[in-house]
Amino acid sequence: MQVTLDKNYPIKAPLAACWSILSDVTDLATCMPGAAITEKTDETHYKGSVKVKVGPATAAFAGEIELLGLDAGAYTIKLMGKGSDKGGSSASMELTATLQEGPDGTTNLIGKADVIVNGKFAQFGGRMMTSVSDMILAQFAGNFEIKAMALAPAVSAAPAAGEPAAASAPVAAPAAVTELNGLAIAWMLIKNFFGGLFGKKA
Amino acid sequence: MNAPLDRKAALQGMGDSRLRKEDARFIQGKGNYVDDVKMPGMLHMDIVRSPLAHARIKSINKERALAIPGVIAVLTAEDLKPLKLHWMPTLAGDVAAVLADEKVHFQMQEVAIVIAEDRYIAADAIEAVEIEYEELPVVIDPFKALLPDAPVLREDLAGKTEGAHGKREHHNHIFTWDAGDKEATDLAFKNADVTVQENLLYPRVHPCPLETCGCVASFDPIRGELTTYITSQAPHVVRTVVSMLSGIPESKVRIISPDIGGGFGNKVGIYPGYVCAIVASIVLGRPVKWVEDRIENLSSTAFARDYHMDGELAATADGKIQALRVNVIADHGAFDACADPTKFPAGMFHICSGSYDIPAAHCSVKGVYTNKAPGGVSYRCSFRVTEAVYLVERMVDVLAQKLGMDKAEIRRKNFIKKEQFPYTSAFGFEYDSGDYHTALEQVLDAVDYKALRAEQAAKRADPNSSTLMGIGLVTFTEVVGAGPSKICDILGVGMFDSCEIRIHPTGSAIARMGTITQGQGHQTTYAQIIATELGIASEVIQIEEGDTNTAPYGLGTYGSRSTPVAGAAIALAARKIHAKAKKIAAHLLEVGENDLEWEVDRFKVKGDGEKFKTMTEIAWAAYNQPPAGMEPGLEAVHYYDPPNFTFPFGIYLCVVDIDKGTGETKIRRFYALDDCGTRINPMIIEGQIHGGLTEGFAVAMGQLLSFDEQGNIQGNSLMDYFLPTSVETPHWETDYTVTPSPHHPIGAKGVAESPHVGSIPTFTSAMVDAFAHLGVTHLDMPHTSYRIWKTLKAHGLTK
Repeated sequence: MQVTLDKNYPIKAPLAACWSILSDVTDLATCMPGAAITEKTDETHYKGSVKVKVGPATAAFAGEIELLGLDAGAYTIKLMGKGSDKGGSSASMELTATLQEGPDGTTNLIGKADVIVNGKFAQFGGRMMTSVSDMILAQFAGNFEIKAMALAPAVSAAPAAGEPAAASAPVAAPAAVTELNGLAIAWMLIKNFFGGLFGKKA
Repeated sequence: MNAPLDRKAALQGMGDSRLRKEDARFIQGKGNYVDDVKMPGMLHMDIVRSPLAHARIKSINKERALAIPGVIAVLTAEDLKPLKLHWMPTLAGDVAAVLADEKVHFQMQEVAIVIAEDRYIAADAIEAVEIEYEELPVVIDPFKALLPDAPVLREDLAGKTEGAHGKREHHNHIFTWDAGDKEATDLAFKNADVTVQENLLYPRVHPCPLETCGCVASFDPIRGELTTYITSQAPHVVRTVVSMLSGIPESKVRIISPDIGGGFGNKVGIYPGYVCAIVASIVLGRPVKWVEDRIENLSSTAFARDYHMDGELAATADGKIQALRVNVIADHGAFDACADPTKFPAGMFHICSGSYDIPAAHCSVKGVYTNKAPGGVSYRCSFRVTEAVYLVERMVDVLAQKLGMDKAEIRRKNFIKKEQFPYTSAFGFEYDSGDYHTALEQVLDAVDYKALRAEQAAKRADPNSSTLMGIGLVTFTEVVGAGPSKICDILGVGMFDSCEIRIHPTGSAIARMGTITQGQGHQTTYAQIIATELGIASEVIQIEEGDTNTAPYGLGTYGSRSTPVAGAAIALAARKIHAKAKKIAAHLLEVGENDLEWEVDRFKVKGDGEKFKTMTEIAWAAYNQPPAGMEPGLEAVHYYDPPNFTFPFGIYLCVVDIDKGTGETKIRRFYALDDCGTRINPMIIEGQIHGGLTEGFAVAMGQLLSFDEQGNIQGNSLMDYFLPTSVETPHWETDYTVTPSPHHPIGAKGVAESPHVGSIPTFTSAMVDAFAHLGVTHLDMPHTSYRIWKTLKAHGLTK
């Protein structure tokens, strides 16, 4: 089961703060709900894990991440991740993520990923794959934004002239989603489905 | 009750719509299926299956599973190796892995088994078996499998250039099988006025019987006897194979097929689960039960079809067919486990010249390995007959379209005529009997075909019509009742079948058979044949099947062979008894045999209505006062080796209305005329036809086993796999003609599969017909609303 994802998320944080997260694989991994880097084996290789629960299928993927390329000039990172779980699912993802400066001190996070899923996930989750991937990535982008905002509180508040400099921005930021929650995903899927029925873009 | 007609009616013999004897237990939940079998000390088995379609097994770690309390054993290919049971022979002359040996070849392949004290522990423990895989490139498309640089799927066959059916040309090639006259066919194409060609995909589907496959194996280490309750359509063949594989003498192997919840070809083969449960029982000395779940059934036990067909017809300008040419790529999956008579790797596919008098024909079928589950069984049809009928019926439609001829007209023109029977086809089949013209006119009149065409023309002319109307017509001929053992065998055993009848002293009877009912109603219909032959009431005739310790050897029930083969064995066994009974009657009445005549249930002295002996009186005498020198008793066994196949036929017509906006299809009308020769029980025939039409509807309109590029099976549960309920099922109209088989003792041809074989192309014919005015010549199945909506969109009919 192969899915190609092409996504663009506006991040309410400046380019520099975003790049400091994107360029650090360990930091970046913490934005992924349920994921963690467990070991850095060399300059470009990492070991990590992800826990996912979707419908009848639960998986604890353990795998490797390889840093294929890091281009500070173009604000681009290329990663290859591969993993499998003991219950019979496996997945791989080749990801290219780029940052572009947006208006008003914001940044666009542009991601392109080819995801291949095998085993139980592909059998049972086949027709939900794209929607589930969308959800996971949206949660990822949300976490990314929170982290980036936390890194640059002054910068994010600065453009609003006349307002007091808000050092409290990180406090106001919602708590990051730390585990990939099947129920939350199911709810968002349902919401989006009905949204789609009534012509709303969720 | 003394009038012959009254006595005849009381027998409930052939032609009587006697109620099914099986239903009383089924509708009360008193059936006894394999999963109902419970034995003291019984263990439970579950199977660890591959998540990947193609991979090397790097390691298997059983420790965590074995540590779970209640887990008795975990077995892998390594454990079966010393017994030489890690691979097993298939019915098609190949071998199949029992448990994956070094490599997995398809997703959901059996890799290890867990034996546990209860079913729940077994299910938990399979999750605890840790297997490391190294992924290999996956081949799903059979055309890509034949490319020179395609990955090698079957490393175990390395260097093997000779397969069970001739030369192998490529590492993923299984066989190429030809029939007909290639030269004559090519010549006819060269000289033809008109030719048509179409690529047709008959997609991979699954019979999906309501009861999944399973068994309870029980080995008695003291007596050295193995008893196995099993979901099998061929218990005797299972006994022979089990004896050969295990080394246990066949006399100590007892196979019992209890009530079977539908087979449809899915329960013909021998599956790894059976072998593992039997091995486990032998090793552990305790009964072991294995019953697969629905996902396992759809993913790993035998599929059907998966034929990529390239069909061509050559004809004269006025529509007389001159030649048929067919090339097929057959996707057999990872192991060649088709269930066909040994000499026919593509089954009876060469019935593909259909009901038509075609002078030259040639077909070639190429079997190919891919990373999919093995199988290729006959899903409610005789071996590959569904594929053959689909091909020829579609091609005749395509030709009619090209010539601007009506579907009925082109068929009338090309039918084999009544007076041509027995008719030898270009492929060498000898069709026994048929009257296609009469049957076609009967159907066209019944539905008022002209009016339907007029209505369709009006709808096409009306731009405001919200629906497209399509009319499908199919005039099929089947070949069933395999078969003559000079050409048909399974693993070397000729495809005869058998019956043993015993008449008890008080005139009731028991018959034991080599076949096994899976819903066909044998207990009802077989008794009717005996009732008519011997004048004993159906009500007091017991039919027993499925226990190899009591039944005579037979090849089982599939391919519509029960009535054509076992039905004949019953009649002929009964006639042996009849002959003996006549001698006894003559003795009792003190006349010569020539002075007697048979009337319903008794022998009468000719010309004297008062002097007679009923079969009941004769039965008593057979045991208690037989003529001097005659052996007492009244029983007979008959093994019937049919001289030929039988050729049932039918004319099916379907009207569909397709919503132009949504692609949703309504089956407005489905009219099915069947000719299965002599009719034993009209009510059961009608039930069989309803069932077959419903399964045909399922295949044509929704069933599909699809795979992604990585070999993940998509839709292997009933959330996705279409099984129609009464809500979706259309209304069926049935009709019949009777053209008995001249070579069959009672003239019966077999019926259960005709409605499946015939209806599938009828639906496609109707769907294509709805779009025919737009130049559409073919649409591949399944005709789901989404796919039809895409066709509507492609032709600008919807947004």
